[in-house]
Amino acid sequence: MKMIQADGLSKTFRVARRRPGVLGGLRSVFDPEVRKVMAVRDLSLSVERGEIIGLVGPNGAGKSTTIKMLTGILVPSDGEMSVAGLNPLHQRRELAKHIGVVFGQRSQLWWDLPLIDSLRLLRHLYGVPQARFNANLAQLRSMLALDEFIDTPVRQLSLGQRMRGDLAAALLHDPELLYLDEPTIGLDVVAKARIREFLLKINAERGVTVLLTTHDMDDVEALCRRMLIIDHGRKLYDGSVSDIRERFGGERTLAAVLDPAQLATMPHDADGQLIVEDLPAGVHLSRSEEPRIWLGFSRDAIPAHELVAWLGARYSLRDVTFQEPEIEDVIRRIYEEGLLLQEAGIP
Amino acid sequence: MIENITGDLRVYMHFLGMLIRSQAQYKVNVAVDIGASFAITSLEFVAVLIYFGKIPSMLGWNIGEVAMLYAVMSISFGLAEMFGAGIDAFSDTIRLGEFDRILLRPVGPFTQVVGSDFRLRRLGRITQGCMTFVIALHLLPGMHWTAAKVVALAIGIGSGSILFLSVLILGATLCFWTVETTELINILTYGGRDMLSYPLTIYHQVMQRFFLFVVPLAFGSFVPTCYLLGKPLPFGLPGEMVFAAPVIALVFALCTRVIWQFGVRHYQSTGS
Repeated sequence: MKMIQADGLSKTFRVARRRPGVLGGLRSVFDPEVRKVMAVRDLSLSVERGEIIGLVGPNGAGKSTTIKMLTGILVPSDGEMSVAGLNPLHQRRELAKHIGVVFGQRSQLWWDLPLIDSLRLLRHLYGVPQARFNANLAQLRSMLALDEFIDTPVRQLSLGQRMRGDLAAALLHDPELLYLDEPTIGLDVVAKARIREFLLKINAERGVTVLLTTHDMDDVEALCRRMLIIDHGRKLYDGSVSDIRERFGGERTLAAVLDPAQLATMPHDADGQLIVEDLPAGVHLSRSEEPRIWLGFSRDAIPAHELVAWLGARYSLRDVTFQEPEIEDVIRRIYEEGLLLQEAGIP
Repeated sequence: MIENITGDLRVYMHFLGMLIRSQAQYKVNVAVDIGASFAITSLEFVAVLIYFGKIPSMLGWNIGEVAMLYAVMSISFGLAEMFGAGIDAFSDTIRLGEFDRILLRPVGPFTQVVGSDFRLRRLGRITQGCMTFVIALHLLPGMHWTAAKVVALAIGIGSGSILFLSVLILGATLCFWTVETTELINILTYGGRDMLSYPLTIYHQVMQRFFLFVVPLAFGSFVPTCYLLGKPLPFGLPGEMVFAAPVIALVFALCTRVIWQFGVRHYQSTGS
């Protein structure tokens, strides 16, 4: 059985615009100027049990609206969906027992209470049997190292600690599906790594399906085999993380270490910068720090092995490495240049 | 349905336990708060007393009788604001997007909102109500008590709390549409409380009908007090109407619930 099955989900909001001035405000009450905004259009999604999926898109792309519909908070304007075998629309309360949700920006813990009290209260809210609760809590305590701050009021916790507490809170009732909205936002590198490691572990050990939205492409690379790109309310991409890099990756870089003796004989320009002559079409020297040089080339221009062969035939190579484009840059280009939008035929 | 209600009630008890325990940690704080609330609400009553210093009776109500009315009112309103403290902050819940979280839990949204706060310090008003009641008894030495009157008093206070709670919820429900009109409902809650601290019959007939038949707050204070004091009700209503107060309060609460659920559905289609 699929964990999430959604077909043709759409959501249109009616946004009333205020007219300026006092009289305008009065008029708006009786005769509102309503604009229709399509937050999500015809979005279909199918997620298997045990997958970790990254939902990526610029602000206002429709990510949260999609998650709100899938959790039953929002009623879609159109479309069908089933989550964990339930209909989020009519079985919201039942569904709530099967899903866990973490908002990176908002805690669900009680601010003034020690973490442990919040967790105990959540046990009652979700009706978790005592034995099950004890077992889960013991496991989460050790996995997330909660012991050092479990008796501290939540307001005194650091952001990283609070996030660990929130993750524990979301998993106490054994959800099959975990929604994470910006789970690593504002965290330092160590804390981020810890959260990612934990997510991979619960996915592997408990088989929890994870759907996360993020702006941090490192999250996606570390966690997700599959990613969805959403923009303007439409699904623009649904596939593997490596594919997107290959398709829109732009330039790869070859870094080579040359023989210093040979370098000395090579031509230099007036500023003393190295010149590599007769480079194949589509290849350019992007940087040089003798004896190291960096050649930028596009995937279509020349296969990597041919470039290495070309270099090897002319120079004595000490070392060669390749650098793939950063996924961060790839995604930025996709947003900024509207690459996928063009493909979908949206101006 | 029934399963949900009993489950929600159990969760509410846990919320209540936690809220009382966390407030009880600061005993001095709670004591000072209760004292302050007691002092302020007592001053309000003193204002009524001063008024009566000039006129010995108001449309046939003497000072002891008004004190009785005031006592019933204070106790039922005090209970409502103590249990309904969580409803006060509802506009913030909506504004900050916390209502999303509420919808993500397998407990009714209503239970979670009411269970989000409980103010021990509002015992101050209830204490003032009890003391005013003692004063009223002192000012009404000739008053004759029967078992029926004791029942009427209990019924009146209970129904009054439910009615005031319902009005608070109605106000909160407005937040599903706009968070800017909370003042509007304050007129009904606090205005209703202040107006009904005086005998209903001093007001225009339209207001009397409003508080008896539209928003039947009078059934939680004026109607039971009239029964205790043997005074006639307006519009020829029989004094025994007081025993219908729980039914009236429950019907009003059910109407409120329907409107609340309508509000939740509106939220789910607009997300704001």
